[in-house]
Amino acid sequence: MEEIAAFLGNYPPFDQLPPSGLQRIARSVQIEYFAANHDVLTFGGAPSQFLYVVCKGHVDLIREGDGETQIFDSLGPGEAFGHPSLILGQPPIITVRAHTEVLVYLLPAALFHELRAEFPPFANFFAASAIERLEFAVRSRRDSAAPTLFQTHLRDLVERDLVAISPDATVQEAAQLMSQERVSCLLIDLPPYGVLDQDTGIFTDRDLRTRVVAAGIPYDTPVSQVMTTPIRTLPADSLVFEGLMAMLENRQHHMPITEHGRIVGIVTHTAILRHQSSSPVFLPSQLSRAQTLDDMRRYRDKVVATVGSLLDAGARVSDIGRVVAVAHDTLLQRLLRDAEVTLGPPPVPYAWMVLGSEGRFEQTLLTDQDNALVYTDDAPPEAATYFATLADLIVGQLEICGFPRCPGEIMASNPQWRQPLQVWKDYFSRWINVPEEEALLRIAIFFDFRKAYGELDVEAALRPVVLDARENRVFLARLARAALRNHAPLTLFRQVALQRQGEQRHLIDLKHRGTAMVVDMARLFSLEAGCNATSTVARLRQSWPESSISEADAQSLISAFELISTLRLRNQQEQITRGEEVTNHVCYRQLSPINQRELKESLQVIAGVQRGLARIFQTGMIG
Amino acid sequence: MFFFRRKPEFPDFVRAYTDAPRPDPARHWREVGYSVLDIETSGLNHKRDALLAIGLVEIEEGRIHLNRHWYTLVRPPEGLEVDASSIRIHGLTRAELEDAPHADVILPELLARLAGRVMVVHVAQVDVSFINQAMRTRWGAKLVGPIIDTARIAMSLHETAKILGSVQPDMPMPAIQLRALATRFGLPSYGEHNALNDALTTAQLFLAQATRLEGAGRPTLRGLMKAGGV
Repeated sequence: MEEIAAFLGNYPPFDQLPPSGLQRIARSVQIEYFAANHDVLTFGGAPSQFLYVVCKGHVDLIREGDGETQIFDSLGPGEAFGHPSLILGQPPIITVRAHTEVLVYLLPAALFHELRAEFPPFANFFAASAIERLEFAVRSRRDSAAPTLFQTHLRDLVERDLVAISPDATVQEAAQLMSQERVSCLLIDLPPYGVLDQDTGIFTDRDLRTRVVAAGIPYDTPVSQVMTTPIRTLPADSLVFEGLMAMLENRQHHMPITEHGRIVGIVTHTAILRHQSSSPVFLPSQLSRAQTLDDMRRYRDKVVATVGSLLDAGARVSDIGRVVAVAHDTLLQRLLRDAEVTLGPPPVPYAWMVLGSEGRFEQTLLTDQDNALVYTDDAPPEAATYFATLADLIVGQLEICGFPRCPGEIMASNPQWRQPLQVWKDYFSRWINVPEEEALLRIAIFFDFRKAYGELDVEAALRPVVLDARENRVFLARLARAALRNHAPLTLFRQVALQRQGEQRHLIDLKHRGTAMVVDMARLFSLEAGCNATSTVARLRQSWPESSISEADAQSLISAFELISTLRLRNQQEQITRGEEVTNHVCYRQLSPINQRELKESLQVIAGVQRGLARIFQTGMIG
Repeated sequence: MFFFRRKPEFPDFVRAYTDAPRPDPARHWREVGYSVLDIETSGLNHKRDALLAIGLVEIEEGRIHLNRHWYTLVRPPEGLEVDASSIRIHGLTRAELEDAPHADVILPELLARLAGRVMVVHVAQVDVSFINQAMRTRWGAKLVGPIIDTARIAMSLHETAKILGSVQPDMPMPAIQLRALATRFGLPSYGEHNALNDALTTAQLFLAQATRLEGAGRPTLRGLMKAGGV
């Protein structure tokens, strides 16, 4: 009978139980056999007395209501049901019907409750809904083998008490205090210290060098004139990782942290480095030391390595995407600055835009270039030549640094995508007003734009054009139809649909039949809501109040997106380790049972939102 | 003086078994209690060989209740040498068996677990003759039934299928080995040649068969007895 314990031990959450827990189940489990079409649990019927685990065969979960019944899930070996009713002691809200003949293990209620009380992971798994389970899975990823980066709070890295000086003090007095107290950063404030108001600022040793000494201002200048204010702060209980991200993005080396609205300390970037030696904080300094394109190529390889270590560290894919975006942006900015030195200053302000996944902060391992250039409308005729030379140079250098050219030629080196602002506005309006097939393809790339470098405020100039789409129902419906072109790959029985023949057998494309479906829907929702975020997670998080998606659906779609992205990234990392070609395909059979299950549930979440979208936009009815 | 042939004086626990009310054949099969049994023996001859181990699981309300499972070794009678070739099959060593309780202790417990219930066995003949032999030599008693044989049910289901035309008439009876049958029903098997594992595999097979018969319009104990009664 060890077989029962061994069988259950293959599947979550039983795989979280110690052998003694599994033995207890094996000793007191009951076994029942149901004929096909037999209702194991009945909607509104007697509350479940057991936790049911399918051993052989499949059961359908059926939702009944409004006179119609709908199979919304099918469970196979190792999957459990009956717990919501068992936990609440209420009649089942679904019917569970044997799809085939099924053999089921039944855990008696008393044992189920004992195990829940003793083993929190077991309890969490059964914490009601599939959505919560997905979220739990995302969270446990983060917790598992979590290094200090994800466990430590900023508060824990404060190395000493705040040193403060009055805003009236001179910069010389400030410098003296810094050297006397051996600190690299002062809080500038009037008592009560730390309460954020117009008197509050910070002053660092770097400010002393760049704003005072290098700028040649007199040493008796009040420090209030050279301090940084208003200041960016983070709550003291933020994770070190969040502090790191904020520092990378803002290029600041000191992060004041607050508790109950008061600054309680300053975390330095060196304190984080001491804490986590192989962190991405090193990346920018490595880049600044880089001299040749070869050095930059090595930098780019380090970014790839960083992705691996962040992934191992349990970072969310969305966080990894931000680290990569900051690292790539920094490289791009370095290249553009160097080019401006070589070619001379630009004739008019311009912006270098990154598009598609890079624009969404979702670039990870498989990356080719997607970029464009926009410059002001008042450009003299020779400007076109300047930007052509610049774009060719940068695109070529990026290629050397390890970013392959875009096969679709969506790059600033293509004259079509290197245009004055007005031309871009016309492009965008045309795509919205004449949403033909090609326009829909363009939108999927260009609407996810983000400025990576340049003086021109392209966000302020172009985003309003994009947001105009909000008013255009026909356009939104077209976009909805395009977003629904790929269905979540599920079979009639809500199992993951796999290629059945040929070389692609058992493979699933985690991008086109996974993350891309979420990306497309998130773009649509953000347009509907008039939200200007570009990352998929931010779009879903911000746009639900004003779009066709509910908060709960948005939350579960985010979890689904994170899980599929993580699977995809892990798979790619393993492919790199094995020296294979990097693809978006994963062999379903080779995934662990827990990953198979998470993937299935994620796809079910996507399918559910797709169905809702199809209803709202009546996509079937547009010619 | 006449010597009347006395009705055998059964010990209380035997009488408790023989006098227990039999399950009503008209009842739905799920409302009846079953004890599913498997034994290991030192050989196939019930007159010469010994009972070495018993495994038993109970079915109530159509469900196997593993918390009430029972497994015991049985010490062979004095002077019986357990054959090396049989040890290879059942894996029970002489040392293990020497420490096991005696059949005189085991049999009362076995009868208590069978009383008022339907006994279910796969290929009942061997198991029944061994238990009857043990009961006869001690108290002149024997099993009172009802007894169901899952191998017989398998044959009946096959015959029915032939009549209904869902299998070809010339198709031979499939193997009736326990594991082969379990596999045909898509059921998992448990470790082989252990009385408890075999009892559990038998119990699952029985649930599947009873469910099939129920689906074919024979939901009562009587239906089961007709298909597989001994």
